[in-house]
Amino acid sequence: MAAKSYDNPELNKKLADQRYHISQSNPQFTKDVIKTSRTIANMCYQCGTCTGSCPSAPRSTYRIRLFMRRNVLGLENEALTDPDLWLCTTCYSCTDRCPRDIAPTDVIMAMRNLAFKKDIVPRNFLQTVQLIYNSGHGVPNNDVNRAARKRLGLTADPPTTHMYPEYIKGIQKILDHFGLKENADRIIKGE
Amino acid sequence: MAENTEAKIGVFVCHCGTNIAGSLDVKAVAEYAKTLPNVAFAADYQYMCSTPGQNMIKEAIAEHKLTGIVVAACSPRLHEPTFRIATKEGGVNMFRFEMANIREQNSWVHMHGMHDEATAKAKDQVRMAVAKAKYLEDLVPKSVPVEKAAMVVGGGVGGIQASLDLASAGIKTYLVEKAESIGGRMSQLDKTFPTLDCSQCILAPKMVDAGRHPNIELLSLHEVENVEGYIGNFDVTLRKKARGVMTPVEAAAKGIVGGGCNGCGDCTAVCPVVKPNAFEFGMAPRKAIYINHPQVVPLIYTVDFNACVKCGLCVEACGTKKAIDLDMVDEFRTVKVGTVILATGYDYIPIEEKKEWGYKRHENVIHSLEFERLICASGPTGGHLVRPSDGATPKSVGFVLCAGSRDNTGGVAKAYCSRFCCMYSLKHAHQIMEKIEGCTAYIFYMDIRSFGKAYEEFYYRIQNEGCKFIRGRVANILEDPETKNLHVFAEDTLLGRPADFELDLVVLAAAIQPIEGANPLRKKFGVSASADGWMLEAHPKLNPCGTTTAGVFLAGVCQGPKDIPDTVAQAEGAASAASIPIHVGQVELEPYFAQCMDELCAGCGMCVNLCPYSALALTEKNGRTVMQVTEAKCKGCGTCGGFCPGGAIKMQHFTTPQIVAQIDAYLMGGQ
Repeated sequence: MAAKSYDNPELNKKLADQRYHISQSNPQFTKDVIKTSRTIANMCYQCGTCTGSCPSAPRSTYRIRLFMRRNVLGLENEALTDPDLWLCTTCYSCTDRCPRDIAPTDVIMAMRNLAFKKDIVPRNFLQTVQLIYNSGHGVPNNDVNRAARKRLGLTADPPTTHMYPEYIKGIQKILDHFGLKENADRIIKGE
Repeated sequence: MAENTEAKIGVFVCHCGTNIAGSLDVKAVAEYAKTLPNVAFAADYQYMCSTPGQNMIKEAIAEHKLTGIVVAACSPRLHEPTFRIATKEGGVNMFRFEMANIREQNSWVHMHGMHDEATAKAKDQVRMAVAKAKYLEDLVPKSVPVEKAAMVVGGGVGGIQASLDLASAGIKTYLVEKAESIGGRMSQLDKTFPTLDCSQCILAPKMVDAGRHPNIELLSLHEVENVEGYIGNFDVTLRKKARGVMTPVEAAAKGIVGGGCNGCGDCTAVCPVVKPNAFEFGMAPRKAIYINHPQVVPLIYTVDFNACVKCGLCVEACGTKKAIDLDMVDEFRTVKVGTVILATGYDYIPIEEKKEWGYKRHENVIHSLEFERLICASGPTGGHLVRPSDGATPKSVGFVLCAGSRDNTGGVAKAYCSRFCCMYSLKHAHQIMEKIEGCTAYIFYMDIRSFGKAYEEFYYRIQNEGCKFIRGRVANILEDPETKNLHVFAEDTLLGRPADFELDLVVLAAAIQPIEGANPLRKKFGVSASADGWMLEAHPKLNPCGTTTAGVFLAGVCQGPKDIPDTVAQAEGAASAASIPIHVGQVELEPYFAQCMDELCAGCGMCVNLCPYSALALTEKNGRTVMQVTEAKCKGCGTCGGFCPGGAIKMQHFTTPQIVAQIDAYLMGGQ
C-alpha cells in the first residue's frame, strides 16, 4: 500500500499505519535472545507476574512483560531502541516468581548485549565502563563513604582495587579483551 | 535347535497413511521380506487395520497355506487384537501372529532426514519378527469365572455414582471409604456452578441411596490393605479402622438387643475434649466423639482416638444402647470381587509453600475450600462470610486464580490446569455479591476457562453482576500489620500498569493434587501414574476409564482434574465398563503362562519363592517332586523362567527358542 501524504511530516507520522505486520518480526532476534539469555524466553504466556513484581515498574514506564512480548514476536528494533530497556535494576524478583520458570532478568540482559553490539547504549552506562576501567569500580569510593567506613571501624578503602591499585591492570586486560573500553570511547566520541 | 522348515510366514507392511510410509520405504521392506527364509508371501498396504487390510491377511492364509503372520505396523497396544482376530478368522491360531512395531519405535522417531536408516531398521524388525513367527505355537486362552461382585474405592460423588450404577445393575458392590462418612469433597461445598444448586441438597439423596441400597455394602472408615488376584478374582483385604462406636448391626451381632448407634448425639454433648474440626479446616471446634455434618451417611458417630482421653462419659450417656467401645481395635477382612473402580479424588497442594501469597502468614488469606465452609449455611459461621483476623464482614474480596496451577517452577506447583478453579471462583464472586451488599469481587486471572455447558453464559452473568476481572497473575500479597488488610500486587496486563489492590480478604484458588495415599493404593492394584502424578488411564481418548490392569477402572479426579459433571460421567462410564466382565461371567486370560517341563524339573523349589504372584508350588507327579503353575495366577512375567537353573520352565509365547531366534536374526543379519 502506498503511504498517503499530507505534505506535513508531523501529520504523516501521526497518521502512519501502526498495525503490527508479520514483516516487522525478526525470528533470528528471538533465537539470539534465547541463546544469549540461556532461558526459555519463547515460553512467556504474558501473565504479568514479572511487571507485578518489578520495583522499577511503578515508578517508570518500564514494563518487563512488554519486552518479553517483543522477544516472542521478534520485534528487534522496538525492543533495542526503547530506552526503558536500561531501567531494570537486576533485582531478579521477576525471575523468582515467573510461573513459566523463565528468567526475564536474563532476557533483559541479553537484549542489552544485543543492543550494545549495535552501539545502542545510554551514555551513563558507557561512563560506568570508563569508571570501571580506571578505578576497578562502577561506583568508586568517595570522601563521604570513606568517613562512614572509618566510623564503622573499617579501613577507609575496601580491600579491592582501591586498596591494591596494582590490580587495576588486570581488570583493564579483561575489559580490553572484550573491547569494552575501546567501544565505549568510540561511541561517546561519535555522539 | 532345529530349523523349522515347515513354517510358511506371511508378512504385511503397513503404510499407516504417511505415518510410516512418509519416513521409510515400505515397499523396500516388503520386497526384503520376500527374500527371508520361510516367507511365503509379503506385501504392503495403505492401512492394514482397515477391513480390506484384514481381508488381505485372511486371503493370503487361504492361498499360501500360511502357518504364521507378521504385520509390521504400529504398537501391539493398538492393533494386536485386530490382527489376531484376522489371523483367527483366516483359520490360523491367533497366537501365531507377531507384530513388528515400525511406527512408534521407528518412523515416528526418525521423521526427519533418516529415511535410509529407518528403512534398514524396519528390515531388521521384520526379520526378527519372522524369526520368532517361525517358532510360534498354537495357544488357547484360559477362561476364568468372574466373581459377581465389584469394589469401589472412594466414597465421593464419583464413587457413590459408580456404586449406585453397579448396584442397580444387580451387582453386589463394596463401597470403601477411608473417612467416617461418604460424600467426599462435594459434601464440603456450598453451591455448585453454573446452576447454583445447593451441593449438599443434590448430593444427599445419592448418599442416602448408597447407604440403603440392598446391593451396596457401605464400608466407611475402611482402607485397602492388600490386593491379590486378577480380573474376575481379586482378593482385597480391607482394614476396618476402629471407630469406637458400633452400628446397630454390629451391636446385634454381639447380642446387644436394640443397641448400637442411632445418631442421637448424647455422647457428643457430654464429651469434654475439644479439638479443631478437620472437616471445617480447623475453623470450628469438634468433640472427640463426633459426626462431620448433620446429613452424614452412615449416621454413626466416630471416636477420634488421637484426642479421646477415655473418661467414659460418653459410654454412660449412651446408656443401654451400649454403642460405644473405647477399646475397639482395627479389624481385617478379605472380600472377593470381579472388578474394581478407583475413585480416590484430590486434595489441595500445600499452598503456603508459594510464599509470595502469604497463606498461613497473613490471617486474611484463605483457600477456596475454606471459603466454601465460611459461605455455607451449615459451616462454622452459619454462612456469614467473615475475615479470620477480626470477624468483620469483608467489603472487597480478591480471588487468585492459577494459585500453583499452570506453574512450571517445580516444588509444590503443578504444570497442569486444575480445571475447575475458574468456574468455582466465578461462583464465589457471585455468592459474596449476593450475600453482602456493596461487596466487590476482584478475580485475578490469566485466562477464564469456561468451557462447559452453560459455563460461558455463567461468566457473562457474573461480569454483569459487577465482578471486576483483572487480567494479571498475582505477583505477591502483603499484609498491613495494623488493619490486616491485604495489598495484592499484580499487573493489569490489559492496561499495562502495575497495580496495588487493597482488599479485605483474599481467596487462593489453589492447585489440586492426588490425595495422600493415592500412590501406595494404585500400586496395590498395579495401576500406573502419568507424569503429572494422576492415575494413568488405559488410553486418554478411547479408554479413559480403564487402566493397564485388566479389571481395574478409574472414576473422577484421581485420573486427572475434573468438575462434578465430568466426574459423574466418568463414574457411570467406569461402572458400565466394570460391569461387563461381571455380566459376561467369565474372562479370557492371555495364555502367557509359565509351564513346567516335568522331565527337566529337579524339584528344587527355588522358583516358588521368587514368584511375585504366588502362582507356583511344588507337587508330586509320578513319584517325583516337580513344580506346578496355577495358570490363573501367573502373569507371565518370566521371573521363574529366567532363573530356573535347569531350564525347566517354559514361558509360553516367549519361549527360549523364540527369543533366541530373534536375537540370532538381529545379530547375524539373517545369515
